[in-house]
Amino acid sequence: MTTISPLLAISAVWLAALGQSASAQTAFTADVPTLHEEAASAGIDQSYTGGWEFFVGGGAASFDCNGDRLPDLLIAGGSAPAKFFVNESMTGGALAFKPMQTGLKAEDLTGVLGAYPLDIDNDRHTDLVLLRLGRNLVLKGGPDCSFEKANRSFSIDGGRAWSTGMSAIWEKGNRFPTIAIGNYVDRSAPGTPFGTCEPNQLLRPHPGDVPDYSDALRLEPGHCALSLLFTDWNRSGEPDLRITNDRQYYRGGQEQLWEMNQGRPPRLYTASQGWQRLTVWGMGIAETDFDADGLPEYALTSMGDTKLQKLDEEAGEDRPTYRDIAFEKGATAHRPYAGGDSKPSTGWHSEFADFNNDTKTDLFIAKGNVQAMPDFASFDPDNLLLGGFDDTFHEKGMEAGIALNTRGRGAIVEDFNMDGMLDLLVVNREHPASLFRNLGVATDWGQRALGNWIKIELDNGKINPSAVGSLISVRTGTRTQTRRIQIGGGHASGQTGFVHLGLGVSERATIRVQWPDGEWSHPYRVFANQHVRIIRGEANARYWYPVAQ
Amino acid sequence: MNHRAQRTRWSCRIAAVAVLQVGLAAAAVAADEPWAERTRALGATETMPSGPLSKDQLEVLTNTGKDLFEAHFTTLDGVGRPEATQAIDPTRRRHPREQVFFRTAGPDAGSCAACHNQPAIGGSGDFVANVFASEGFESADFDSLDPQFSSERGTNHLFGAGLVELLAREMSDELQSIRTRALSEARSSGTTVRLPLEAKGVDFGHVSADPDGSVNLDELDGIDTDLVIRPFTQKGVMTSLRQFTINALNHHHGMQADERFGPRWTGSDDFDGDGKSAEISSADVSALVAWQATLPAPVQLIPAASGWAEAAAQGETSFSDFGCTSCHRPALPLETLSFTDPGPFDQAGTLNDGQVSASAIYDIALLDWAKSLPRDEDDRVLVPLFGDLKRHMMTDNQIDVLGNELLSQRFVDRNIFMTAELWGVGSTQPYGHRNDFTTLDEIILAHGGNGREARDAYAAASESEKSALIAFLKTLVIVP
Repeated sequence: MTTISPLLAISAVWLAALGQSASAQTAFTADVPTLHEEAASAGIDQSYTGGWEFFVGGGAASFDCNGDRLPDLLIAGGSAPAKFFVNESMTGGALAFKPMQTGLKAEDLTGVLGAYPLDIDNDRHTDLVLLRLGRNLVLKGGPDCSFEKANRSFSIDGGRAWSTGMSAIWEKGNRFPTIAIGNYVDRSAPGTPFGTCEPNQLLRPHPGDVPDYSDALRLEPGHCALSLLFTDWNRSGEPDLRITNDRQYYRGGQEQLWEMNQGRPPRLYTASQGWQRLTVWGMGIAETDFDADGLPEYALTSMGDTKLQKLDEEAGEDRPTYRDIAFEKGATAHRPYAGGDSKPSTGWHSEFADFNNDTKTDLFIAKGNVQAMPDFASFDPDNLLLGGFDDTFHEKGMEAGIALNTRGRGAIVEDFNMDGMLDLLVVNREHPASLFRNLGVATDWGQRALGNWIKIELDNGKINPSAVGSLISVRTGTRTQTRRIQIGGGHASGQTGFVHLGLGVSERATIRVQWPDGEWSHPYRVFANQHVRIIRGEANARYWYPVAQ
Repeated sequence: MNHRAQRTRWSCRIAAVAVLQVGLAAAAVAADEPWAERTRALGATETMPSGPLSKDQLEVLTNTGKDLFEAHFTTLDGVGRPEATQAIDPTRRRHPREQVFFRTAGPDAGSCAACHNQPAIGGSGDFVANVFASEGFESADFDSLDPQFSSERGTNHLFGAGLVELLAREMSDELQSIRTRALSEARSSGTTVRLPLEAKGVDFGHVSADPDGSVNLDELDGIDTDLVIRPFTQKGVMTSLRQFTINALNHHHGMQADERFGPRWTGSDDFDGDGKSAEISSADVSALVAWQATLPAPVQLIPAASGWAEAAAQGETSFSDFGCTSCHRPALPLETLSFTDPGPFDQAGTLNDGQVSASAIYDIALLDWAKSLPRDEDDRVLVPLFGDLKRHMMTDNQIDVLGNELLSQRFVDRNIFMTAELWGVGSTQPYGHRNDFTTLDEIILAHGGNGREARDAYAAASESEKSALIAFLKTLVIVP
């Protein structure tokens, strides 16, 4: 056999030379962005700390609170107060944030596990829901980053639970959003923490001119939720509520999908309807739609394997039966890719985005040991799974520069300096948050820009002005990409503002919007590398430009 | 299988491999012979030029570019794209195509010069050299001349193209500066600011900026919403010679440039599936651009025939009096003759100045032909292009012959076209975007829409005035 091997090798070389087209697919060849960590110089100094109640959580919210459209931040602190930061980054320049005092009491900002931004009262100022250990707080946003507590004026109790997740949607015909709150362990129940999961909450608005959430529904059973997402999983136009749950503490629990019935209490999808029992250490939900068929795929982070769920075509129409495609897509991310620790990973925030503007969907996963669990990796770097032209994911966290020795939790994937390249904030447990600026591609002469991009902001009018629930469809050539405007998912972290898409080499795109009420817009023709504003009812899109420097 | 049988089988395989090697080696030798059926100019420019080039360096580069422009590319070079369409965005064909050439969807030409040859290489093309413009996405396999699938286009000449691109860049800069000023004033004043968009005296409508940084695009006229003038093609939809070159190489020859069709953007080193990788390097593209960008500008040349000079002079006056110059501006002022490549306005998929360590700089002033370009009192070159680099609607309810297509192209409606630059028009008949007007008289009378007033003035003129106008236009020629 030893005489044969060289011959085989020669044959292979020559046959490869002959059959180039057959072997033309190469390894990952797209751009790997350089993500430069600059939290300290950017003025971001916030750690997520605390006892075991804060082993979970550790989120952030990204939103514009001063009208300049630059994403500002709130970062949870756990046992320490959450902090606000105003974005002062120059376009395409170094990231710069300034701590902001809101006048809120430190006790109100303490015990925060995460936060989601949304405009609850339709006044075009972003409000915040702070998920806390204890009473959740609703902060009504005002001009110039002013916030005031609004639990009373919105008639939101806030409860006493250990809240860890949230999602919101405008149900059809409603003036104000429906808000689902995910709760974790009921610490006061006998036998806690095992088998004592707190029920979740559904806040539906009363009819009227002001938000009134005085009658909360209990979503029972709760299975220790860590992430919730209203999602139109079957393109029915009526989003249902998906919840990922932590098997560490539930007994007899599983992942959940609540059927949202207009005006009636939600009902859990059952096995007879196609819902299959799945038990994971569910930490975060991310949604995408790889093939833009209107039937989303979901990434579920956990301890060990990440799940990547696709609706099973063979299960029958309108049956929420999913198959796991994580392995075939190379997205299991089940153990660290660097550092030598071969124990299983612990995944938290997950988010689909296009970090290198090549049109292929990428997946970010925040990773980090719960605290010091000996059976799980201690050095557990965050994942940057870049989508390849072979339709699988390729781990590039090390090359990109995000493989740090931190315990990641929540995260924000956002273009903080408005240059069209996505940056990244990662909230870390017992460690300062990481803030990575996307510099483009490193070359032997400097950094080179990535592919083309487009960022889109929708204006739905007086009700639900930021168009939560809308579907944005962007066509370039034969490719269609979609983005759903959602509040929820991830791990205790949410964002509002421009929606980003990579356009690769396309210099133009045609955008259509399916507004929250289901109506499709006419096509808007736009050029690449622009911030686009689409105002419902206007014939043409507008462009937006940051302050010139 | 016993050992003997196995040895026999492997002996056969070894022999087969040996034969294969010999055959390939012979082919490799043959490919290096002077008569080899491949383009030797491909790869001749080994690295992308950068920084200022001397006249001699520029000459070497442009000579290579000319060789590439004239080359009849072959399958050994990479001609053909059996698995890719003609689309500007890399697009896979649904079904592989067997034929290399295909008249409508392409590849449809052996060389650039096969169409650009009137009155010399780099010139325009006759009707027979028309091309079929289609986005190439949904109807890649169309085999019909039905205009629902494509729009037929005449081949434009490229003389003076470097000056045209320089003008477009300066005008884009001007327009974007106005937008920036409107935004700045709106932000500082707290009110909406509406400013006229004008560049080199050409009106492109208005731009309105709101205090929140939003820009209303409703009142733009004849330009894309990003305020980039795209001076090339009959529609005015291509930004640069570089972009057009890459498009055309793929469309007409199936020669795919790495900087758009290579692994970075497609994941494949043979996206078109023809068995050839790295068909066109960025340096090859640079050479082609350099040659096109330095082609001499057309000139006015009055034939010696009796009476022509007098007629042309009268015709030039009428050209202005009729209002033709409102779009066919006799000259536009140009600040600089330094042509940088890659340039500033291309986007990913065509290299731009942010994608390379340093762009090459070709100083057109070094070229002999440039010395005779007229200049104004501010020493700006007056580029005599007889155009305005603006798109106009060319039809109305009565005159609609130039709106005879069914497809818009790259967001530009079917009856809107870039003002044809008339320099060289005396050397490039037939006329019109479809090359289907045999006389200048016919194409003038076909002007509707924004050209209607001038057209009517011409139509109402005396026969001698019309004749004089034709005499004038025929003095605008290409002298290679």
